[in-house]
Amino acid sequence: MTQTEILAKMQTVFDDVFLDDVKVAPELSAKDVEEWDSLLQISLVLGVEKAFNVRFRVGEVEATKNLGEFADLIQRRMNEGAKA
Amino acid sequence: MMSSEAVAAPLKQKAGLEDVRELFAQRSEEIWPALRAATQAASDFSEVLALANLRKKALKAGISGGIDKTIRLAMIGGSNLYPLHELVQQKIGARSATGWWETEIWKGDYDNYIAEIFDPESELYIFKPEVIFLIPSNQRCVYQGALTDGPELQKVAATKMAEELLNLCRIAHERSGAEVIVANFLPAAEFDPGSFRVRTLGSNWNFRKLVNMELGLNAPSYVHVCDAEFLATRRGAATCHDPRAWFETKQLYSSDFAVDIAQEVAAIAASLHRPSKKVLALDLDNTLWGGVIGDDGMAGIEIGGTHARGEAFRQFQLAIASLAQRGVVLAVCSKNDYKNAAEPFEKHPEMVLRLKDIASFQANWEPKSENLRRIAQELNLGLDSIVFVDDNPAEIEIVKQFVPEIETIWLGPDPSEYASQLLDCRFFEPRSITTDDLKRGEQYQQQAARAQAMNASETDMDSYLASLEMHSVISEFTEVDVPRISQLINKSNQFNVTTRRRTEAEVEALLTDSDHYAFSVRLADKFGDNGLISVVIVKVEGATAVVDTWLMSCRVLKRQMEDEVVNEIVRLAGKRSCTTVLGNYLPTEKNGMVRDLFPRMGFELVEESTERTTYQLSIENFTPHKTHIQMDRRAYDTN
Repeated sequence: MTQTEILAKMQTVFDDVFLDDVKVAPELSAKDVEEWDSLLQISLVLGVEKAFNVRFRVGEVEATKNLGEFADLIQRRMNEGAKA
Repeated sequence: MMSSEAVAAPLKQKAGLEDVRELFAQRSEEIWPALRAATQAASDFSEVLALANLRKKALKAGISGGIDKTIRLAMIGGSNLYPLHELVQQKIGARSATGWWETEIWKGDYDNYIAEIFDPESELYIFKPEVIFLIPSNQRCVYQGALTDGPELQKVAATKMAEELLNLCRIAHERSGAEVIVANFLPAAEFDPGSFRVRTLGSNWNFRKLVNMELGLNAPSYVHVCDAEFLATRRGAATCHDPRAWFETKQLYSSDFAVDIAQEVAAIAASLHRPSKKVLALDLDNTLWGGVIGDDGMAGIEIGGTHARGEAFRQFQLAIASLAQRGVVLAVCSKNDYKNAAEPFEKHPEMVLRLKDIASFQANWEPKSENLRRIAQELNLGLDSIVFVDDNPAEIEIVKQFVPEIETIWLGPDPSEYASQLLDCRFFEPRSITTDDLKRGEQYQQQAARAQAMNASETDMDSYLASLEMHSVISEFTEVDVPRISQLINKSNQFNVTTRRRTEAEVEALLTDSDHYAFSVRLADKFGDNGLISVVIVKVEGATAVVDTWLMSCRVLKRQMEDEVVNEIVRLAGKRSCTTVLGNYLPTEKNGMVRDLFPRMGFELVEESTERTTYQLSIENFTPHKTHIQMDRRAYDTN
């Protein structure tokens, strides 16, 4: 999957979690969206894990700076799954 | 996506996340029943959250038909209560029968519950909760000493831990008046310390089990245990822990297990507002026993004995009896002649249930929705206290449509699962068992004996039939159908006007016999194909068409199939240049249900004796009966 494809799929997760419409983009991060607090982040990460069938390691989502990096992380974990 | 009025009800029952999304997009008020159904069925964390999100959006968009009750719930505990509270809120809301129960939630701070309970000025009490949900710290439920300490010492520690927790519950209850739901401790799921774990009360496994046991056995009536130990065991304890979620965000439960917990809290919260069900109304054929008593007879039905299927039905009856013993009232609601239906209860040696166990016995050919109303009347109970059980999805559907107050259990096709389905249904859970409960069964039986005058009110059968989307194919006899036709001719007892038996060779001969016309009928509906369900053989005697054989499977009774059969008999008689159709009813022990069939279908009485009643119909004056069955093909049509 390309980063663009991953971001498009992330959009469906965002639509289920955010009350207001949030447009997924590589530069977007939590500080850009009022509703996106540390609690909502929990639902978001779990939703992403379900949607992509991946499992992140402790602390690594927190270390991503924006959705672009998050998408790259998803990509890495997906590749890993494919090899296993 | 289905959209017509007639099928709106089935949609509600099966709605999932996609349906709710669609209804939200339409800004439809139907979103509320769909949300309830989808939420109750959802077991996946993300799905419940997505439904919660849609609920919030629906409220924000002002789609009416929602909130009909508000519950004030305080959640406190030794872990992060977000997003568990979203799940709890969503699961409680769906417990409303008619709208949505909105839960106003106040969440305590992470691991601050002891202070919140002890401080009389705390926000917990300012919030004025009706219900407090307390999830104590799992990490603290550990034996501090050594595995090899004496068991007495370890037991004292466990008892003390349970006492302290119950003490917190007591203070919280006394200061707020709230009912307290307390989660007990998760079972330890790691192998350490190996098989030694069972030899000491100091292992996490045994210690927590003991604490949970002490907690449950000593809980006062205002404390309701959310049995996390049981739920985790049922799901598989190792899948309920999620160390990463603990380190990152202090979640105690894995995401999907959090849904189990939310579901349980919702069930407990709902039970505080709604009493549990009182009556179990049971279908008979293929529910209490295998087979159809009217056709198979006492020797033919499957119950008990040494057969696997018979054993399964017997086990189901044992499960029913165990509920009855606790005070659940039993009723029968069956499409059968009373005499046939009652016989196994009176005489079959393998039956667990007997007539005396049944407080209200309705066996007749009226719609089941009507009979359930009668049961409620006889027992003098509300419809909403009844749970109806059937193996036939069409019967479940009609009850859902016409008496939505009644909860239903569709048993499905495998009797081996019936007993667990009943024991898992959650409708009959006592909060405490009293001797009154145990006597209740008898009381209702007396009540039923008194109430004998019943008025059957009319239901809108018409719209139900329309919603079934029935299709029928009528075919002249064909080679391939001969075995099934012969089987029906030799087996059907109830809906069978003459009960004339024929060998397979005799049936085969009819394929080319020019003195007769004969056809078979298939019926399908939206639940599936009922297969070949009716057989008709007519003899042409000059200008008179004589109905020699007419039988039908009772499964499709009162679906207007009778009317279409008459239409076809008359149509084919006309093609043979007949002017009159003659029908004979030959009474037997079992075919009482078709005694009035011909007059109901517009035939006139010609003559009557004890062994034969003859009716006739003039073709000239006949108008084909209107039905909701779409005829896809008729007999002897060459196209």
